[in-house]
Amino acid sequence: MSRTLGPVRPARHTVAALGALVLLAPLAACTSNESAPSTETDNARLTVDSSADACSLSASEAPSGNVVFSVTNTGDDVTEFYLLAEDGLRIVSEIENIGPGLTRDLVLVAKPGSYITACKPGMVGDGIRSEFTVTDSGTDVAPTGELADQIEAATTNYVAYVKDQSEQLLTGTEAFVAAYQSGDDETARELYASTRVHWERIEPVAESFGDLDPRMDLRQADLEEGQEWTGWHLLEKDLWQPTPEADGGAVYVPLTDAERTQYADQLLADTQELDDRVHTTEFAELIDAATIGNGAKSLLDEVATGKVTGEEEIWSHTDLWDFQANVDGAKVAYDGLRDVVLAQDADLAGELDAQFETIQGLLDAQRDGDGFRLYTDLSTTEVRELADAVNALGEPLSRLTAAVVL
Amino acid sequence: MLANFLIGLREGLEAALVVGILVAYLVKTQRRDLLPQLWAGVATAVIVSLAFGAALTFGPRGLTFEAQEAIGGTLSIVAVGLITWMIFWMARTARHLKSNLHARLDDAVVAGRWAVLLMALLAVGREGLETALFLWAGAQATGATTQPLLGAVLGLALAVVLGWAMYKGAVRLDLRVFFAWTGAFLIIVAGGVLAYGIHDLQEASILPGLGALAFDVSAQIPPTSWYATLLKGVVNFTPVTTWLQAIAWVLYVVPVLFFFIRSVRSARPRTVSSAGAAPAAPSSTVPAVDVTTGGTP
Repeated sequence: MSRTLGPVRPARHTVAALGALVLLAPLAACTSNESAPSTETDNARLTVDSSADACSLSASEAPSGNVVFSVTNTGDDVTEFYLLAEDGLRIVSEIENIGPGLTRDLVLVAKPGSYITACKPGMVGDGIRSEFTVTDSGTDVAPTGELADQIEAATTNYVAYVKDQSEQLLTGTEAFVAAYQSGDDETARELYASTRVHWERIEPVAESFGDLDPRMDLRQADLEEGQEWTGWHLLEKDLWQPTPEADGGAVYVPLTDAERTQYADQLLADTQELDDRVHTTEFAELIDAATIGNGAKSLLDEVATGKVTGEEEIWSHTDLWDFQANVDGAKVAYDGLRDVVLAQDADLAGELDAQFETIQGLLDAQRDGDGFRLYTDLSTTEVRELADAVNALGEPLSRLTAAVVL
Repeated sequence: MLANFLIGLREGLEAALVVGILVAYLVKTQRRDLLPQLWAGVATAVIVSLAFGAALTFGPRGLTFEAQEAIGGTLSIVAVGLITWMIFWMARTARHLKSNLHARLDDAVVAGRWAVLLMALLAVGREGLETALFLWAGAQATGATTQPLLGAVLGLALAVVLGWAMYKGAVRLDLRVFFAWTGAFLIIVAGGVLAYGIHDLQEASILPGLGALAFDVSAQIPPTSWYATLLKGVVNFTPVTTWLQAIAWVLYVVPVLFFFIRSVRSARPRTVSSAGAAPAAPSSTVPAVDVTTGGTP
């Protein structure tokens, strides 16, 4: 019996293979025929007149993206039309069997570059060739349609948010510096945490300018040999002067008036510098879906490495302000991309929504007036709860960039 | 007109010939009951091709060039596997007929029931997509002139007539001769289909060597001439052939033809001559070719 069963097998295999092919073809191998709802440009439509001895194109270049060659055979013989790579060998796309009197469309997604077109009347030889250029329309590789619009909107909004926070940081810093320099330490202490939130919300952006972050936000514990300590935390220490026990046995020497002026002026100048940089067009061009997504993740990492350990604000203990600001920044970044995430990975969106809510709930429980309780007043259980929530949010957040970019 | 006619003829011929042989085979082996299955395969292929062609021409999305070639090329190679299997299935069945092993024949036919449908489907569907795209382009042009469409349809019609003529001629043949000749013919056809499929995959950049030509006789045999059309339609001969195509053709046709001829010969002594039967007789009890492995796609 085995011999008689034998032939059944190849047939079944083939049925399966054929089925797979039929299913695969429409999924993986489609190109847009007509103008998809693309935002800026419609299809580039060119006509090709292929006669017995000529191959005339309506244009010798087209913008990248969807390109349609409408090939009409005005000769007496069958013709073919080829779009070849620059080397004239590799076929980028072709359309065969264009009978006399017929028009057929060759539709493709063209990348910027140099190409060669060829008509082959009679289907022989190298054909009638000419050079063809696809210019960069800037819309080629990026996704088109609704998704692209959403990403574009998210980017624009995020850039606006960064600019706004930077402006508020500058205004806040001016007031803080004024109070500090005039010796009004009470006001300066009040302004410290509420001004820094604008910094903490956009910290990954500030970090992307490699020189500014260490000048403005370096902690004493992270000082390297020979490095001068400047910025927020230097002033923090001077405002919340530690006892010798809290400062490794050393007696804290307050800054002189001259030093106060010097460091506060520098902080203000650096803040101005940051504000100037985020208002340039170069900066806006740097921001895309990936930088937003990675920025959100990096804000959570800030929380995980600095805030839940209470090391960030070691003198003022206002870590929860920073904590909230980091979460705010991540939430804004995520909210801008949420529609995209929802479309690409609805499960991820659901998980992120839930985790942001959890962490916000825990933070709200620690509110005290306009601000937060001091970090040193938290119980170890409360700290552990916050740390767990940060980790629970960090995991799905690390998948955010992949979900919106891939 | 003539050029469009030749396209229809070329695209239709190969399918018509394979279908003609399949019909002849079923008729000769008294399996007319399987004919509806075969026609169902043909009809499915035609409908699917036309539907796909219409969707790709008028729909919002078309197949990329690579996909079109990859599908065409892969289907061709699947078709070659099936045809090869069928050839040896036929050869074996012929032996069974001689020995009146009806039970075995029935088993084989049961196994082949789906293969018959699938082969008809592939024979027609393989070039069907391309032809359908052409026909729809012709249909779009009918506003200007009906000539291109008419030419292509006449070409297809002639292909069907030639397939029918082939069937008629084949039906008249003696059964043993029928199997021998149609089998050998199909091997040449399958070799051409294989080479064609390889060329498709080369055009899709899945296989290399598109520029490495074994020969180019397009000056002597213009691709749009009627004789080139017949050569292409019947045995898939292309005037411009790459090395990879040529090598694949030889590697397929030579061993398959060798095993086929051996299997046909081993079947012969039993019926034709008793004097020369002694040396060949033992081998005929064991199949000359292991059909299950030799013919598996």
